[in-house]
Amino acid sequence: MTSRIIVAAGALWLCSSVLLAQEAPQRLRTTNAPPKPSGVTPRTADGHPDLSGVWNGLGDNLNGVPNQIVNNGIAIESETSARDLKSGLTVAVFPRNTTRVLNEEQAERAASLLRRSGSNRPVYKPEYWEMVKNFDHNSNEEDPSNNCMPAGIPRGGIPSYIGQFPNYVIFIYPGQGGLIATQTMYRMIPTDGRKHTPLQELDGTYTGEGIGHWEGDTLVVDSWGFTPNTWFDQIGGYAHGENMHVVERFRREGNTLTWTATVEDPDFLLEPWTTTPRVALLNARADAVLPESLPCSERDLSHIVTKEHH
Amino acid sequence: MSRFTTAVVATICLSTLAGAARVAAHHSIQAQFDINKSFTIAGNVAKVEWINPHSYLTLNVKDADGKVAKWAFEMGAAGQLRRTGLSRADRGGLKAGDAVTIKALAARDGSNSGLLQEITTADGRVFKLRPDGTEEK
Repeated sequence: MTSRIIVAAGALWLCSSVLLAQEAPQRLRTTNAPPKPSGVTPRTADGHPDLSGVWNGLGDNLNGVPNQIVNNGIAIESETSARDLKSGLTVAVFPRNTTRVLNEEQAERAASLLRRSGSNRPVYKPEYWEMVKNFDHNSNEEDPSNNCMPAGIPRGGIPSYIGQFPNYVIFIYPGQGGLIATQTMYRMIPTDGRKHTPLQELDGTYTGEGIGHWEGDTLVVDSWGFTPNTWFDQIGGYAHGENMHVVERFRREGNTLTWTATVEDPDFLLEPWTTTPRVALLNARADAVLPESLPCSERDLSHIVTKEHH
Repeated sequence: MSRFTTAVVATICLSTLAGAARVAAHHSIQAQFDINKSFTIAGNVAKVEWINPHSYLTLNVKDADGKVAKWAFEMGAAGQLRRTGLSRADRGGLKAGDAVTIKALAARDGSNSGLLQEITTADGRVFKLRPDGTEEK
């Protein structure tokens, strides 16, 4: 299935100068090595690590680098080498050509192939293989979020702002204009020890019912009650059912925040799938605020004439 | 892990990751626009919208009979527009009614639209939003 998806890969070059970038410091990166933590980890009065802050310190929400913008895990180690984190295999890259730049077509296709070369992929029940392949191949029409709808969880990745309070946390995910065009999401997640509402009593929503608790220094957010109208990764056509259960883990070390999500779907998946960890960097400015996200109005997809896509 | 060996055929030119002049896109550029076909058109600005996923400039274009058609041009993100020098109208940006000449990549579906490369204002200022699409393959 991996090879079929790679073969089916369309192309979309995305170098996100947009996105969560907004007013954060701009850094152009040519590798996607996770930032190394520095500084102390602040704690709240109740002793937990304090996750509060604006987490867009990488400036460009990771510059479209595959390991970070999708979860299948390609580490770009230098200008001439990359590695698949799950298998450990080296991924071939074109040597950097300094005599002329790639044109749009070449750049899009190269980025798309690399973005799709990671092996950390969910394992679907066989009866869904054709459906997922079809969604992926036709994502210009089928992607449920790329037309300014919410990305959902866990496709939304790491929130750009976290506000931590004694009995709840606030997550804000600004609408993006990057790899996919999405509208802003927010979550208010209780950490007061309450239990989930029974799944059958919840109308499915884009962020589901999220409830947090601490496991040592890790904030664990357990969510269910999702609408099936989202995919759970940026690319791949990874649809899910209304019984999807997502467990996210947030761990702060100094000025970094490491996030993973585990997706369980008893209807669609043969086994739980866990994202490759992503690492966000705190906005270093003490007076950092999260700027307004531009409204999202999608006007391009109706003019697309081929199946090329990200 | 042999089933994953197909991964190693993946390729990329990492220089593109620096992304200097490229526009972010939630869609494939080449699926919508002909990267080898530019055109130039003159008209008056109807509106400039700073929005996600792409900002848009709408242009009123008069034909030979004086009939006005609207043309829509995709632009980059807000940050790119600022870096290019587009901002508030009273700081040198565009406002409705301004006469401009636009160079753009042609839409492949034949619609009155394009991917904006360059704006020239009536007073001769030029805003370059992206490299021209005719670089050698």
